[in-house]
Amino acid sequence: MSMELWLAVAATTVGTLLMRMLPLIWMRKRLSRSSAEAGVDTLPQWLSVLGPLMIAAVLGVSLAPSQNTLAGWTATLLGVLATLITWRRTRSLGWPVAVGVAAYGATLLLSGL
Amino acid sequence: MTTTSPPLTASAWLVGVREAIPLLGGYIPIAISFGLVAVQAGFTTWEAVAISTLIYAGASQFVFVGMAAAGAPLWLVVGMTLLINLRHVVYAPNLAAHMSSSRWWPALMHGLTDQVFALALTRLPQLPSEQRLGWYSGAALLAWFAWIAGTAAGAIGGEWVVQRWPLLGEVMPFALPALFLVLVAPRMSNFRWACATIVTVLAGLALALGGIANAGIPLAALTGALCFYTVKHAPTRRRCA
Repeated sequence: MSMELWLAVAATTVGTLLMRMLPLIWMRKRLSRSSAEAGVDTLPQWLSVLGPLMIAAVLGVSLAPSQNTLAGWTATLLGVLATLITWRRTRSLGWPVAVGVAAYGATLLLSGL
Repeated sequence: MTTTSPPLTASAWLVGVREAIPLLGGYIPIAISFGLVAVQAGFTTWEAVAISTLIYAGASQFVFVGMAAAGAPLWLVVGMTLLINLRHVVYAPNLAAHMSSSRWWPALMHGLTDQVFALALTRLPQLPSEQRLGWYSGAALLAWFAWIAGTAAGAIGGEWVVQRWPLLGEVMPFALPALFLVLVAPRMSNFRWACATIVTVLAGLALALGGIANAGIPLAALTGALCFYTVKHAPTRRRCA
């Protein structure tokens, strides 16, 4: 890797870290100010809405099957249903993921990929 | 490992490590793919591992190595990679109210990926405040190390693994949407949030199918936010007599 490419890696690293870190520093200052003034809702509403919706968006994007076939869509649908049903029963994190992956894999296997 | 409030018996750090284990089902196959793609694009194993260690931002790393290998201008490579990572700006402020005053928190934001944020947004409010730093450190470090190890494995033997167990490469990435589903589901507790979440998921899916997965994430979230505010201000329908 050339020196220029290493510099590009360094610039991307610093940029990405700042995008994750600076909003925290800003928010902490905002929180400390508002706690002095007491009772003010400190997180702007648009931020509290966009945060969880970003995760929902990543979910939507990651649901797109790698193979746009009937088998791929059926496996995705059954995997989602298995995950949701297990979550409703167990209210846990690990089991629904394991069951969802198993249902997805079994459907792909039975359909011969 | 529950989404309610379990009593913590192990140290917070170990609980964080344990609760981040479901992330690995999604992380490792993608990290292996990245290692494989980076080596095929002409990077050495060490360079691929360095990119995963330093940049540590999933999809954008694929764009970085792909554009660099294609000979794109480096300012454009950096700009595109940062643009894809721009969504991370809204993550830390959502967690700030649940963090202690420790000086370690800002540095630990290096580990605030989509998955770690989703997990922390659910779990941090449920934990006693003195355990949150330990929990987050354990979860974030496990995810980071798994990403680095997966990249190394992909760069060294990815091609062999994919050829030997092709189904594994197809099935394991489903762990990621399954985990996101479990993290998003509890938020659909009222009509307004349920509408916004479902619209966002469908918009993200449609945009990904349309070939705009990365830009699709902020676009889908904005669509969902529009729905969130529309539902709030929607006029109530008059009942027919």
